[in-house]
Amino acid sequence: MGTSDLIKGRIEQCVEALQRRELTEADLRAVTDLLDDSKPQRQDLLYMQSSGTGLATEAYGLNMLVDGEIVEPASPDEWPYKSPLEAVRDGWRIIDFPNLALLMDESKTYGLGCEFILERLR
Amino acid sequence: MQTAMKQAERADCEPTLTDTDVVEFCKQGFLMLEGVVPDEINQRVLDFVDANGHIPIRGEDWFVEHVLLNREAAGAVRSLIGANFAVPIGVANHRIKCPMPAQEWHQDGGSRVGPAVNNLQVFYYPQDAPPELGPTEVLPGSHHLASHQRWMQHYGSVRGTVHTAAPAGSIFITAYPIWHRRSKSTAQGMRNMLKYCYWRMEPPRRDWIVDPDFDFAMAPYALDGTLRHWSQFRDWYEAAEMFFWLCGDPGKMTEAVGGTGWPIGHPPPRMGEQIYPPVGFRRFPEHG
Repeated sequence: MGTSDLIKGRIEQCVEALQRRELTEADLRAVTDLLDDSKPQRQDLLYMQSSGTGLATEAYGLNMLVDGEIVEPASPDEWPYKSPLEAVRDGWRIIDFPNLALLMDESKTYGLGCEFILERLR
Repeated sequence: MQTAMKQAERADCEPTLTDTDVVEFCKQGFLMLEGVVPDEINQRVLDFVDANGHIPIRGEDWFVEHVLLNREAAGAVRSLIGANFAVPIGVANHRIKCPMPAQEWHQDGGSRVGPAVNNLQVFYYPQDAPPELGPTEVLPGSHHLASHQRWMQHYGSVRGTVHTAAPAGSIFITAYPIWHRRSKSTAQGMRNMLKYCYWRMEPPRRDWIVDPDFDFAMAPYALDGTLRHWSQFRDWYEAAEMFFWLCGDPGKMTEAVGGTGWPIGHPPPRMGEQIYPPVGFRRFPEHG
């Protein structure tokens, strides 16, 4: 059970104690103690390079940071998501959109084009 | 006058590539020649580098004759960078102890993206290079993709890449800026891969095996349509521009699409579709 689940459970107990008019300062302190004990969250990252700036465009590059380890799927068949939209629907948050400044220069094709960076906290 | 440049040893031979082969190189950025070096030479190379390291091997006549001037490889090199090309001056051995994780994607240092082909980077496997021993992985067409080398290290799995798994004696020839990396290896053992550069000494001209019926405008310059690393038609344009540069006649780009420079202003010539510009079409200047 994660820290947030423990906190939710403890607050539920506080609500029940409040309804019984038995809530004490110690009950509330126990909740804040749980917050103090909570570990910093770890950031997972998902890099996706896609054929356009649209969320539903097909990804053609993917790399991940999962629980502190770089995890590269062996082939596109094993990618967990086919587009940024699929990743968002699975709980990933976009933290960087394709840098349009790089896409404005028509004289060269830069890098793999449109890159989304997404994160998820664990 | 003192100079740090070394006198190049030059070579010439019959070209072995056709117009279509050269177009293929222009769009893919690499050319694989499987198993072209005989087994006894491959074994001799392995024994030599085990005993002496890779640096002195360039001074061995048998290595120059059978590897650097291998008939198929030299014929392809001659086709792409012309007559009297300079033979590699040095040889590096990318020798790794497997298993190893995949290397980061990169273009080699000093890469210059553009239509000119003034040198060729060549890879030679003196031993079998199956997927388990981490053969080089390349991204076809990426010699046309500009990037800062240090801005590519976060890339991972990329759609459309090719693993150059090949038998001993295989040589693959690349456009210098092609994106590549050592792929992940899973087996135990040593992998040797020798790498070296050939240099152009003559201006570009169409002196490979010429097909008299070759159609400059309608040649298949575009990459496989499932790859979308480029803006639409950009892959066509880049490969065509490189081919016409190699022909020594950049003006053929104007003949094919009405002008030079990207964007071209309309779709390129394509077989079977009535969307190409008519013969004689020219782009007139926007100003004056």
